[in-house]
Order: sequence, then C-alpha cells, then structure tokens
Amino acid sequence: MPPAAPLDTDVAIETPEHIVFRHRVAGPARRLLAYLLDLVICYAVFSAIAMLVMVAAVGTGGFSEAAEGAAASGIGLLLVVLFAIQWMYFAVLEAWQGRTPGKRALGLRVVTATGRPIGFRAAALRNVMRAADALPLTYSGGLLSLAGLVSMATTTKFQRLGDLVAGTVVIMPERAGHTTPLVLFPAAQPYELAQLPDDVRLDADERQAIEMFLRRGPRLGRARQLELAAMIAPALAARFGLRNEDPARTLALLYDCAARAGRTDAPASSKVPGSWR
Amino acid sequence: MALVSALTEAAFVGRRQRDWDRLDALARVVQSRGLRRLPADELAQLSPLYRDVCADLSRAEAARYSAPLIDYLQGLTAAAHTVVYGHARGRFNVPGQGSALRVALEAFPRAVRRHRLAMLIAFLLFFLPFFGGLFATLADPSFALRIVPESQLRPLVDAYKEGFSAGRGAGTDALMAGFYVNNNVGIALRCFATGLMFGVGSAFYLVENGLATGAIMGYVGAKGAGANILTFVVGHGSLELGAIVLAGGAGLALGWSLVAPGDRTRLASLQAAARSVVVIVFGAAVMLFMAAGVEGFWSSSSLPDVVKRSVGAVMFALVMAYLTFAGRGSDQAEALERALEDESWT
Repeated sequence: MPPAAPLDTDVAIETPEHIVFRHRVAGPARRLLAYLLDLVICYAVFSAIAMLVMVAAVGTGGFSEAAEGAAASGIGLLLVVLFAIQWMYFAVLEAWQGRTPGKRALGLRVVTATGRPIGFRAAALRNVMRAADALPLTYSGGLLSLAGLVSMATTTKFQRLGDLVAGTVVIMPERAGHTTPLVLFPAAQPYELAQLPDDVRLDADERQAIEMFLRRGPRLGRARQLELAAMIAPALAARFGLRNEDPARTLALLYDCAARAGRTDAPASSKVPGSWR
Repeated sequence: MALVSALTEAAFVGRRQRDWDRLDALARVVQSRGLRRLPADELAQLSPLYRDVCADLSRAEAARYSAPLIDYLQGLTAAAHTVVYGHARGRFNVPGQGSALRVALEAFPRAVRRHRLAMLIAFLLFFLPFFGGLFATLADPSFALRIVPESQLRPLVDAYKEGFSAGRGAGTDALMAGFYVNNNVGIALRCFATGLMFGVGSAFYLVENGLATGAIMGYVGAKGAGANILTFVVGHGSLELGAIVLAGGAGLALGWSLVAPGDRTRLASLQAAARSVVVIVFGAAVMLFMAAGVEGFWSSSSLPDVVKRSVGAVMFALVMAYLTFAGRGSDQAEALERALEDESWT
C-alpha cells in the first residue's frame, strides 16, 4: 500500500523534470476577503464614472433635450460598466496577470492544477461559472455562494465549481527567504571535541528533529528546552559515547558536527565546465 | 532512508548561491514585465538555471539539508516553473491556417456543429415554448398575463403601437444598447453556467425565455401592433435568439458530460466538455454584443419597414450561413481541436 498523502492543505506539483514542489492552497476565508477587496475597487471605479456622468449631464445645461440625451447615454455606459464588473473584470485580469488586485493584495494566484499560469479560456470559464457557484441564488455577488462553498468544502484543493470546470487552483505562492544557518554558540570546547568521534553520522530524521528543536529553542523556556532535549539526547549520547551533562548542549554539538561533516567541494553551475562529481 | 549528506550544507549553498540569486532576479523581471521584454542572452540563461535549481532541490532533499534551505529552493523552483512553463498563448493558432482571428472565427462554428445535437435540443427547448406562448396568447391574450406581469406588458403595447416613424433620441438608443448588453449577455452566460446542474439550469432558462418572449410578442400582436414588433425584432432577432440558443446548447453539452461521461471520470469528462464548448460561449457573447448594437441603434430607428425587414432577412441568412459553412474543409484544424479536448490544459 502506498503511503497515504498527509492531510494538509497543499497541492503537490510535479514538473517535467520530475521535481515535486508544494503550493499552499488558499481557503474560502482568504478568498472571500480578496473578493471583497475587488468589489470595493470595482464599485469605486463605478462610482467615479457615475459622478462624471452626472456632472456631464448637469453641465450640458439644465433640462434641455441635449442634457437628457447625455444623461441617458451616460446611464447606458454605466450599465455596460456594470456588465464588465460582473463578467469581465475577473476573467481579463486573471488571464493577463494570473490574479486580480484583490488576490495580489492577499497573496493569492490562480494556476492550473499542474501549477502553470492560466490562459484566457480557463480564466473566462472559471469566472463565468460564478453563476453556478452562486446557486441556489441566481446572483449573490459572490458573497453567499452556497454551491461554491459546498464544492470547496468537499474537494481537497478548495476548488469551487468554476475551478473544477476550468481545472484551476487558487494558491498562496510563498517565497521563503534565506535563513541564516545555525551556528553553535559558544563554539565547541576542546574537551567537548575530545569526547566526539571523528565521524558523527546522524540519519536524516534525527538531523531534522534536532534542527527544528534548535531553531525553536530560543523561544522556549529553559526547563522546556531540557525536557524536550532529554527525549532523544540520552540515546544519541550513548551511541556516540558522550557524557550527557546538558541534553540541549549535547544535541547542539552533535548537530554541528554532523552539519560540518562531509566534503566541502560543491556542485558547479552546469554552464561552467567541470561539474559536480 | 538513512542518507547522510555527502557535502556540507554551507559548501553547497556557498557554491550555488550566485546561480540562485541570478534565477531569482530573472524570475522577478519576467513576472513583473513579461517574457517578451527579456533580452535574448538573459532568456537563454533562464532554462539552464531553472534546470540547475531543480537538480539542487533534489540534492538538498536527498541530503536532507536544513528545512529553511529546502523551503527556499522550493519557492525558487515554483517561481521559476511558473515563468518557464508559461501558458502557451494562441492555442487557436494552427500552422498554415492564417491569422489567429480567422482561426478563432472558424473554430466557433466548428464547435457549434460538433455539438449539433445539443444545439438542436436547445433550439427546441427555446422555440417550442416560444411558439406555444405566442399562439396561446394570440388565442387568448390573458395567457400572457400569467407569465409576464401586466405592468410590464402595457408600456410595451403602447410603445409598439406608436411605431418608430418618429425615431428616438441617440441618448435613449445608447441607454437601451447598454441595457441589452448588461441584461442579455448576462442571461446567456448564466444560461450556460447553470448547465452544470446536469443541464437543468440551461433548460430552465431556455424554456423560461422562450415562453416569455413568445407571450410578449403574442400579447403585442393581439393588441394590434404585431407588424411593428415583428419589424423591430427581425433586425437583431437572429443574432439575439440565436446566441441564447447557442449558449443554452453549450450548457446542455456541459450537463450531458456529467450524465454520460463515457470512459472518463465525471470530472475529466466535464473539463473536456468545457474546453470544447468555451469557444461557443465566447461566440454567443460576441453575437449578443452585436445584437445589442443593432437593437439599440438600428431596430428602433425611423427607417422604412421594408428596409428593416430586408436587412433582417439578410442577417438571418448570414448567421445561418456562417454557422453552417464557416471553417468547413479544414480537416487539420478540426482534428487538432478534437485532440485538444482530450488534453488537459497545462
């Protein structure tokens, strides 16, 4: 039996290079906020145009026939703008930029299920389907999209009906910055090094567990630090023949040695002759 | 998996950092300014850098380097992946078939013909209630009152009795054109989208609109303005009613893909149908934009009835000829479109 996928709100994307990376999938709350922001932007523009139309109609002179005509064309224009808000704004911006200003503000992006930017047809489809997501209402302005919510709740990737039809996912692309590597402080003392074997080999899980502990360490109280460290430090100390006086220090020492073990030559860029290995 | 790093993490990062920074900068430039703006020499660097980072991510994961480094490389790979595997633009473009516009113009009627059964059913779902409503109202005008409120019918009768010899202000024309865009295109798109409920939504909108349209025309006719409303409708009718039928048919095809998915999963079947009919929805929307222009500015003008009716007949013939004949004989394009249905959007 293959190992079950972890229960998590992310989507694994495999590139043609057979590299798998994960994107976090955006949930309904964040998406609703982005949607509200977009509505605010749309209706701000709408109000601005409406003001212009009113000023223009009044400006052309009282209640003359020309003024009435201008006002009527203005209302016609406003109706077209209303149509554009409801049916075109999202589709055009998502096709062009992959996200609307509201989605940008909340760090969301629409991609295909395979992690690529969406094209115009997919963008149009997922947004036309807002009418189906709004069911059982005929139009909800996206605020009470019952069908959409049910669909999001029952799919693992938080897809509303429009996403299912167009094969799209709304993700939160995260660009983790560099973090500084862990440094042993104070540096290893000669008597500590003397206890250690030349070759400290930690398996990957041990290394990861210790690293997480060390990164969290400064935020924990001293007592809790010791309590956590004591869970694995004795076993490791016994394996490497260390005196386990301070479990937290023992873990830090072992991690430091393991991280510094290994070759120091590195893979070269593939554009530079003489590459890795 | 008891893998021990063969290489210290610090050495790995130190050696590779420059390439990562370079790729990061390139990806940011492409994301903000687009791939086309990138100079050729930088474009040429993009793909090798991306492949190197993919390999780096693999190595870092295999060697179980620290979690922050892996997160960083994942983010970088994902960002570069978005840039390198951008959406293939102009999927309508077929080599040797001419401009994208011409191909799109031909793809629309081809898609309509591919789904001709759904279109026929949509046609019947609209026009059977239409003629039902029309004849029932002509026989007994009170029938229309059960479908459309009298407060809406009375002004219509007054307007059509008056005729169009006086013309209408350009302002009112623009107002009505705007109204038709907002109202009619909205109805068509909703008619398509609700087809997702196994076609029920599309069928409902088709029957409802057919019945109401028939009842209104019958009511105006029964009150003695039949010739006027016919003259008004004939100019834009083929575009407007045709587009509603096409959008409804596209919705029915969408719904049917869920009812009878064949050897695909229901989701795959739905997505394939959506890819196949989306061009019909675009086409129908464009037809409705054109219809709104005609209805706002032409149908209500003071031109003689003969002119309006002849133009209406020509429009009908043009629409039918376009949908029937445009894009025929291009087997290559036809085959490609069928193949694209099976291939998921990537």
